[in-house]
Amino acid sequence: MSEGKTYVEDVNRAFYDFRFEEKDSFRVQSGLTREIIEQISAEKGDPAWMRDFRLRSLEIFHATDMPLWGPSIEGLDMDNIVTYVRPNTERMHTKWEDVPEDIKDTFERLGIPKSERESLAGVGAQYDSELVYHNVRKEVAEQGVVYTDLESAMHGEYGEMIREHFMKLVPPTDHKFAALHGAVWSGGSFVYVPPGASVEIPLQSYFRLNAAGAGQFEHTLIIVDKGAKLHFIEGCSAPKYNVANLHAGCVELYVGENASLRYSTIENWSKNMYNLNTKRARVEKGGRIEWVSGSFGSHVSYLYPMSVLAGEGAACEFTGVTFAGEGQDLDTGCKIVHGAPDTTSHVNTRSISKSGGVSTFRSAVVVTEKAEGSKSSVSCQSLMLDPISRSDTIPAMDVRTSKADIGHEARIGRISDEAVFYLMSRGLSEEDAKALIVSGFAENVSKELPLEYAVEMNNLIRIEMKGAIG
Amino acid sequence: MKEMIVNRPIAETFGWLHMGGTRIMAPEGERAIACALAEGETRTVVVEDTEEAALVTADLPQGACLHLIGIRRAGAAGMARTDIRVRCGEGAEFHWYRLILGGQESYDNCSVTLEGTASSFTADIGYRLGGQEKYDINCEAIHTGRSTESRITASGVLSESARKLMRGTIDFRSGCAGSVGQETEDVLLMDETVRNQSVPVILCAEEDVAGDHGATIGRPDEKSLYYMGSRGLDTETACAMLAQAKLDAVIGRIPDPALRDALREETTR
Amino acid sequence: MGAELLRVEDLEVSVGEKEILHGVDLTIGRGETHVIMGPNGAGKSTLAGALMGDPEYTVTSGRIFFDGEELQELAVNERARRGLFLSFQNPVEVPGISLENFVRSALEQRTGKKIRIWEFRKQVRKVLETLQMDRSYAERDLNVGFSGGEKKKAEILQMLLLSPTLAILDETDSGLDVDAVRTVSEGIREFQKDRSASLLIITHNAAILNSLEVDAVHILADGRIAASGGKELIPVIEREGFAEYETSQREEAGA
Repeated sequence: MSEGKTYVEDVNRAFYDFRFEEKDSFRVQSGLTREIIEQISAEKGDPAWMRDFRLRSLEIFHATDMPLWGPSIEGLDMDNIVTYVRPNTERMHTKWEDVPEDIKDTFERLGIPKSERESLAGVGAQYDSELVYHNVRKEVAEQGVVYTDLESAMHGEYGEMIREHFMKLVPPTDHKFAALHGAVWSGGSFVYVPPGASVEIPLQSYFRLNAAGAGQFEHTLIIVDKGAKLHFIEGCSAPKYNVANLHAGCVELYVGENASLRYSTIENWSKNMYNLNTKRARVEKGGRIEWVSGSFGSHVSYLYPMSVLAGEGAACEFTGVTFAGEGQDLDTGCKIVHGAPDTTSHVNTRSISKSGGVSTFRSAVVVTEKAEGSKSSVSCQSLMLDPISRSDTIPAMDVRTSKADIGHEARIGRISDEAVFYLMSRGLSEEDAKALIVSGFAENVSKELPLEYAVEMNNLIRIEMKGAIG
Repeated sequence: MKEMIVNRPIAETFGWLHMGGTRIMAPEGERAIACALAEGETRTVVVEDTEEAALVTADLPQGACLHLIGIRRAGAAGMARTDIRVRCGEGAEFHWYRLILGGQESYDNCSVTLEGTASSFTADIGYRLGGQEKYDINCEAIHTGRSTESRITASGVLSESARKLMRGTIDFRSGCAGSVGQETEDVLLMDETVRNQSVPVILCAEEDVAGDHGATIGRPDEKSLYYMGSRGLDTETACAMLAQAKLDAVIGRIPDPALRDALREETTR
Repeated sequence: MGAELLRVEDLEVSVGEKEILHGVDLTIGRGETHVIMGPNGAGKSTLAGALMGDPEYTVTSGRIFFDGEELQELAVNERARRGLFLSFQNPVEVPGISLENFVRSALEQRTGKKIRIWEFRKQVRKVLETLQMDRSYAERDLNVGFSGGEKKKAEILQMLLLSPTLAILDETDSGLDVDAVRTVSEGIREFQKDRSASLLIITHNAAILNSLEVDAVHILADGRIAASGGKELIPVIEREGFAEYETSQREEAGA
């Protein structure tokens, strides 16, 4: 490589990296045994079916092998992950004033619930293993929209609905970490949007993992009934510790006939996080799922939101950006199953690799025999910012009917010197020029986000890109 | 017969798709075909498919140019297996032309390492499969030298219950600055019971490279069929012409004019 | 007037949910050349597509007779075999099939007879010369990488080789420079020469018509034939545009 080339410095995450002394009132021992699961179940007051479900999942966990593909998770020692940490507070609060000071301070610093006051229909905040705050705007609640924590909902009038849907889309047998999730899940949200209801402003939930060496296993269950409409936003962060933390959340989305759901995520876990998250949506006739996904944080990620297009004319749109910096191995992408006639999917992703970071785009488009008249287009672009990083693209297509139109395109390259020169000729510094080009490259995602999140994402990119010119 | 796993790619996709290697029961016999070229020499080698697997190797010295042609005949029974390993020295060129005109089961593995500066590799793969015929391929361009180039072009037609699995990998290794890799796949699906699997992979550990991939899989394009129909061609004839075009694209690139004409004749019969 | 070749009766055509043609009547005799002019969006290309049987257009009402036979149920290739030809505004690119090979196959299918490659090639070369196209175009993939002008010439080339009884030219002159318009006109004149075939020329530019015989001119505005006349309409349109016809339609609708 020639002299005088630009190297962009690594991220300053100080903004997310503050942490508070851990004052959890209850913390189970590290490791995974039947006793620990029973202890968690008792602590949470599970109904009997859930306790049995947890124990069955634990058995599956022990019987299942680690995945043989994807980035290494050798650094993750399951015997040293604490699966349940309850923050030092009584369960859930619906008034912000009631949330303990240190926890409140954490979320205030992250801009929540300031954002709630400004533009959200409802907010849920999870601190370590438990949801500490939940609130829904009155006009949204009046439409019959339910947004609460899963545990209390399980005991209420939606108990049966939860039992019918919980881990039916992502069964514990799906993979090892789905089984783990089934055994130790805690916290997360339950959203139900009744037929025809339309939530115009987004609901948000925010996950914060504060405890060292802990795992976070929240479960998000969203049911959007016939003809209803919802936008749900998920944000994640954690301070950095020297021990590995694990996030093995699970998101199950049920999109009813002619319903539509947009699920947006800005993930900025700290760089000691193993993010092994499973997200899946099932879309009925005429329904639509839209995923908007920004992956910036964590040490290792396995993240491939899956869309099962189960009803005629169901549609999926996936827009994603992944930014892998130093010490990061981010394996992200999506999976789509066309299981009914005239279903459509559009995938548009960007990945950026820098300072030795590894980003992998991995996708699967499966078109079954039943999916006559289906269409799919996948487009992924990758940007290499230096010669020490790595960027891989591994898409797969399995087409089992002739009556389908499947297109795929992938491109990999670097920032064009001409573009940098052009911007510099208009007075920008090299650093600013490159940051601008990278932001433009990620515009597919930022333009799909509500303004304040787009601003936050561009901030993250600027932080990542900022640094000395060598 | 022996059990073996063939066509295992450098990087694997999700395990549940079962598109890693393919486990087969292969006949015992193997033919070793070593192509030794002198510096600057150009040579064309035609490999006929037989019961015995063809293991083709070449270590191409500076400026050498090898054209390797393989044709699997229509209606051939049994299994054909080819395993090609080529290393290209400085400025060396390797061109692979592969026609699968039919045949019960065909397995091709082609791994080319572009080690020498400005070396290049092209693969032109064409297939036309029907009945229960099956084609399984793994094709890799490994760029290690500077300013190397690869192009993998595969186009074909599947009808009835034919099945094809193609893995293509462009692997830009560290140090291959200035390299370019391109992969295109174009698959025409004629009947509802066909199955097409594609895994077009780009691996990249170098900044100064350009790699791209494009794939189109599906029925003959409606607009083309309408246009051709407006000149009086019925759908069947138009489809047959579009299918023939996939093979012609490969045949037209074969450097030997006599073989080219013979193949045109053979494929349009 | 020659014997009737094409008769369109009260044709209504929709694209998707939207009705574009609201009842078009048109009769063309054998050997006649008709011109359809009209503003953008008037439905000119819709009429051409409906006549040829483009699946994108749905005929919701009305009938089309060609050579005494009703076209409605016939697929596009059947219409072509009966002698209908459309020069496309944006012909598709078909990789892997050469222009010459394509036209030869089309002719073979129409006549049911094998065509001798050498004789046909001679014929192709003659037409290429008329259209001032390089011989290499015959060998090139159909329309692939052709410029706008080359595509239009390739359409006229196909028209001359397939010798249809009615050729519809959909804006064949649009996007062409002066020289190309002259060459294309030459090709059309060649087609007109023995006055046995009919032409329906869709254009919004009179330049291409200067050197051609024209029997009738129709103004298509807002999905209807707003006026019909002889060649004398052309200079009027050139001077005054289509505004008059569009407003008269609006008034009519408002009345």
